[in-house]
Amino acid sequence: MTAQVDLLHVVTTDNITPRRIALGRTLVWGSAGILFLLIAIQALFEYGYLSFGFENWRPVLYGYAFWAFCFCASQVIIRGEQGKRALFVLPAVLFVASMVIFPLLFGLSIAFSDWNLASPDGRSFNGLDNVRQMWADPYYWNALKNMVYYTMAILVEYAIAFGLALLLNSQIRAQKFFRVAFLMPLMLSPVAVSWMVGKSMLEVRFGPIARLARWIGWDSPSFFGTPEMARTMVMVMDAWTFIPFMMIMILAGLQAIPKEVQEAAKVDGASAIQAFWQVVFPLMLPISITAVLIRIIFKLKLADIIITVTSGGPGGATDSVTSFIFREYRDRSNVGYGTLLAMVYLVVIIIAITIFMKLVDRWMNPRY
Amino acid sequence: MSDSQIFHDSEMDLSHRAKWLTKRVAVYGVLIFWTIICLFPIYWTITTSFKIAPDVMQGNMIPWVDFEPRWKGWKSLGLSPNTIFTESTVRDEFIKRFMNSIKTSVGASTLALILGSCAAYGLSRFNYRFGFMRNSDISFFFLSQLILPPVVLALPFLVLYKKFALLDTSLGLILLYTLTVLPIVIWIMRDQFSSIPVELEEAALVDGLSVWGAFFTIILPIALPGMVAAFILALVLTWNEYFFAALLTSTDAKTLPVMVASQTGSQGINWWSMAALSAAAIFPLVVIGVVLERFIIKGMASGSGK
Amino acid sequence: MKVELYNRMRRGQMSRRGMLKGAASIGAVAAAGGLGLGLNTGPANAATDLRAALLKIPGVGTGSPSDADYQKVGEMTLGPTKAVVEEGEFEGVELTFLGLNNQNQHNFLFRGFLKPWEKYTGAKIKWIDLAQADYNARLQQSIATQTVDFDIIEMGAPFEGDVTGRGLASEMPEWVKDVIDMDDYVDYLKAPVGTWNGKTYRVSIDGDCHNFNYRTDYFENEDFAAAWAAEGHDGPWEVPATWQKVQEVTKFLTGKKDPLSGLDAHGYLDPLKGWGGFGFYFLASRATAYAKHPDDPAWLFDPEDMKPRVNNEAWVRAIQDVLDVMADQPTDQINADPGTTAFQQFLAGTGSMVSWWGDVGAGAKTSDSSVVGEVTGFSILPGSDDVWNHKEGKWETLDSGPNHAPNMAYIGWGVYVMARVDADPKRHKAAWSAAAHLGGKDLSLWASAYPSGFQPYRKSHFNVSEWTEAGYDEAFIDDYLSSEADSYNHPNAAIEPRIPGIFQYYSVAEDELAKIYAGQYASAQEGADAIAAAWEKITDQIGRESQTALYRASLNL
Repeated sequence: MTAQVDLLHVVTTDNITPRRIALGRTLVWGSAGILFLLIAIQALFEYGYLSFGFENWRPVLYGYAFWAFCFCASQVIIRGEQGKRALFVLPAVLFVASMVIFPLLFGLSIAFSDWNLASPDGRSFNGLDNVRQMWADPYYWNALKNMVYYTMAILVEYAIAFGLALLLNSQIRAQKFFRVAFLMPLMLSPVAVSWMVGKSMLEVRFGPIARLARWIGWDSPSFFGTPEMARTMVMVMDAWTFIPFMMIMILAGLQAIPKEVQEAAKVDGASAIQAFWQVVFPLMLPISITAVLIRIIFKLKLADIIITVTSGGPGGATDSVTSFIFREYRDRSNVGYGTLLAMVYLVVIIIAITIFMKLVDRWMNPRY
Repeated sequence: MSDSQIFHDSEMDLSHRAKWLTKRVAVYGVLIFWTIICLFPIYWTITTSFKIAPDVMQGNMIPWVDFEPRWKGWKSLGLSPNTIFTESTVRDEFIKRFMNSIKTSVGASTLALILGSCAAYGLSRFNYRFGFMRNSDISFFFLSQLILPPVVLALPFLVLYKKFALLDTSLGLILLYTLTVLPIVIWIMRDQFSSIPVELEEAALVDGLSVWGAFFTIILPIALPGMVAAFILALVLTWNEYFFAALLTSTDAKTLPVMVASQTGSQGINWWSMAALSAAAIFPLVVIGVVLERFIIKGMASGSGK
Repeated sequence: MKVELYNRMRRGQMSRRGMLKGAASIGAVAAAGGLGLGLNTGPANAATDLRAALLKIPGVGTGSPSDADYQKVGEMTLGPTKAVVEEGEFEGVELTFLGLNNQNQHNFLFRGFLKPWEKYTGAKIKWIDLAQADYNARLQQSIATQTVDFDIIEMGAPFEGDVTGRGLASEMPEWVKDVIDMDDYVDYLKAPVGTWNGKTYRVSIDGDCHNFNYRTDYFENEDFAAAWAAEGHDGPWEVPATWQKVQEVTKFLTGKKDPLSGLDAHGYLDPLKGWGGFGFYFLASRATAYAKHPDDPAWLFDPEDMKPRVNNEAWVRAIQDVLDVMADQPTDQINADPGTTAFQQFLAGTGSMVSWWGDVGAGAKTSDSSVVGEVTGFSILPGSDDVWNHKEGKWETLDSGPNHAPNMAYIGWGVYVMARVDADPKRHKAAWSAAAHLGGKDLSLWASAYPSGFQPYRKSHFNVSEWTEAGYDEAFIDDYLSSEADSYNHPNAAIEPRIPGIFQYYSVAEDELAKIYAGQYASAQEGADAIAAAWEKITDQIGRESQTALYRASLNL
């Protein structure tokens, strides 16, 4: 997975003269200088030391964009071909870094402060109090426990998606129709799904699903009455939206498997099941891992359906971390605490995913 | 005449035929079952938009059989046949938000595609070292943007955007959405590029093209399906985004999802309006899905072997 | 007037029902007189003529009003404005208006009302529309990050603590008071609720209270009456007037059949799920009769130190009441929020009693989904045989009989002007002129009579003859207005505190209540103590001193 040398080895004869290097350097430092000048003017203006300035910080934004452009250009000029290589990644990195660094730092400072938006005192730093509160918060731990349940449902979703992909990959007519039809749930927005499906279709007295349940023989269907049932319904609704996503990824992978491999297996006398488990499934592993990983990440952000349909469920049974943070942040304006919860959640996810990927790595590339 | 028949199907072959038939039935049965599951809620949404309240409460399903379709839902949006030519504040709002949604989604997806494709290509071909960060670290850095809960960024962005006068602008929303979908684009494109053999570029380089030239002339055309797939996915994700749209927009840059949510209030739920709005909101996506469906599958496929 | 009520009028399905047991009269006040500036270009008749003409747009029975109708109404009620403002006086002024867009009303109406105003004065208005769920969060964040980018706001009175309490609102100038005729407001909307710390900020456009809606066919049903007597219950079979009786009736009805639908009968409908903070009002409706003593203005917190009263015996008894009848509720009630109990249950034929805002009473006959149009009655909230005296810590029975304490839930919408216009006199006048136009006496009559989302709130709205002359059925209007008036003018009305962050208290209470109802606490007292503890934390976080001071200010202590 990690190669120490470039995959595409570029050998060029660059003519990098000292003049070029100087030009590149002046470009970078010149534009940086302009940027600092703009920042200084605006800051001093806002603090009242200068009498002229801009209406807002937009010119600084433009200055920054200019600096970024010059920086990229200078890389090419100074380093020639190597610079061109770096140029692929540089804009994206700069973009993400600049959009995220400041907010993250600011977010960290909020996370460790006590800030209730209704309070006239405003923000006040309170050290680790938020962390202690989180540690003792039953709602948070309850939500984390629910996330474990939700994540385990992904296995079922994966199995269904895989099955569907296999079916779609086989010889059937009207393949395009089925593919388009299966793709549709992804298009519906989570808000619409929670309203139309969660509240309208699952309405206990006359909703179509309840009717179906009564027809099957379940006399008084209650979809959200018990914790387990409520959780199951939430999982079902979320799965409905996201199974197409996994399905198309797996289908794409299946279509990429060369026919020869499957035919070889048949020639060797493998039954259908054996052919699947010994040949197709291992080949699909990388894609499966990717699909499951992306699915886990989206699942961990599940909130819309829960907020709209159950508000956290009977006694908190369907509460997810994000929906709880949402309540804490939006309804109670408890911004400091809410931000801390989100930060901790982020750390937990990163740790979990790193462990997951290391395990997968170990499993896929066993070292003897 | 059975006497002159020499070759007879053996038992095994005949049963093979029956087995094949049952298998076909089972396969199609499952497919049709799943199609119903997928399409029924959408069907329900569309029919609900034509219902009036008692029909909604009764849960009637088939138009013209169970209930009489009316234009009430669409009327409340100003889109029914008898209101479509009159002045309607609601419709103006709807159109404005619709246009804004298109602007922000397409803008963000395009920007993410440009930045992401280049980055993915670089990550798949070269071995970088920015300070202590290697390729995998850089990839992870991008990935972590996906994991970041939006709540963390909400207030800082509010303050930041206020300073930069980006509140309530499409540009501000585009920048933010690009940030959220960039990881997906990079992820998909990286798989794409990894599957394109290096020999193609090497041949181009030998022919005298620079790295960027090779990228544009050789690689991009091959990776086009993947790019379309990533674009569509980014489009779907940004079109339905609610949290930041509600937070950072006021008048000028409002998008659709917030309007859907406000179809409820203290007077009960206007099911027909909500259904009409939801249907109108997913309509463009459905069209894109139908038209560009082949790109999505093809685009996700790794391995091109051209 | 709420949409459903209006639609019902259109279809003329009324029948004669006289069931209001309220004691107060309708409180009719002649529409003429006290109109203030503007329409004094003739005898008082001109004013009544105007109002009669107004109510004919678009006319009862001709369909829901359109944007053109809103504009016409705005045009016709421009009189008071014209007397104070020159044509084109605000040329070049641009104002921003923040409001709701629920069900395409609120802001959409305001747009229509203010278009003629914009044309006359030359000012321009930019609109910010919010969904109800986002409103609180957006307001708080704007205030906290100092991104207040609006000049006029449509706001609920409970949020005054956050806005006026922090000096963000502009004080009402005297000339506006005359233009909108504040004397005409119903009693509870005048001071102290109409003011903040002695100053007036709000242009009221709405009144809000919870009332008690019930199914008449249940309480006129002979079989039930016979069974009631047979089982040995006290008193005749009738609409319960106290919560004790409500509990008894609810338990009694389990196992019986609904006279209308033939399905299971249910008694009182309790919403067991939260609703963005609004769900707490429903527990409060159950509790005010126990907790609001006529001699004590406070009922949620102690005015001395903001100690929550939500875990005193009165509130615990209310919570216990809910727990006692949980088994008698319809299936899946644990997932029923207040919207469900009103619209998907009561109006659709399930259950026989529910507390709600005026929407249910109106929607009964007008909502398309209602099947209970002919069999709904309404009155003020039930009282209680005894009331908790918090100061002395014991239950009391009053000499005057059962204690009633209608819950003025949410108090009502109002239009406020933000302080940021104070710097510029032209903008100041423009903003207040727009607000005054929306709060005008005649315009508000139209808004009460047609679908707008707003309830009557002025004494002059209760003039039945005006309504009947415009085409409304007298019996129905009589009942509807009576029940509203009774609650509004009640001497022991329970009004919520307008302190900063009041909805945070409600939201956290909803969370704890969900756990109580799910059985995660050993007793109602334990759950109530948890709510009280959470409330103390919020009070400390926001600042106990400032909260106490503001609480006292809102009670006018």
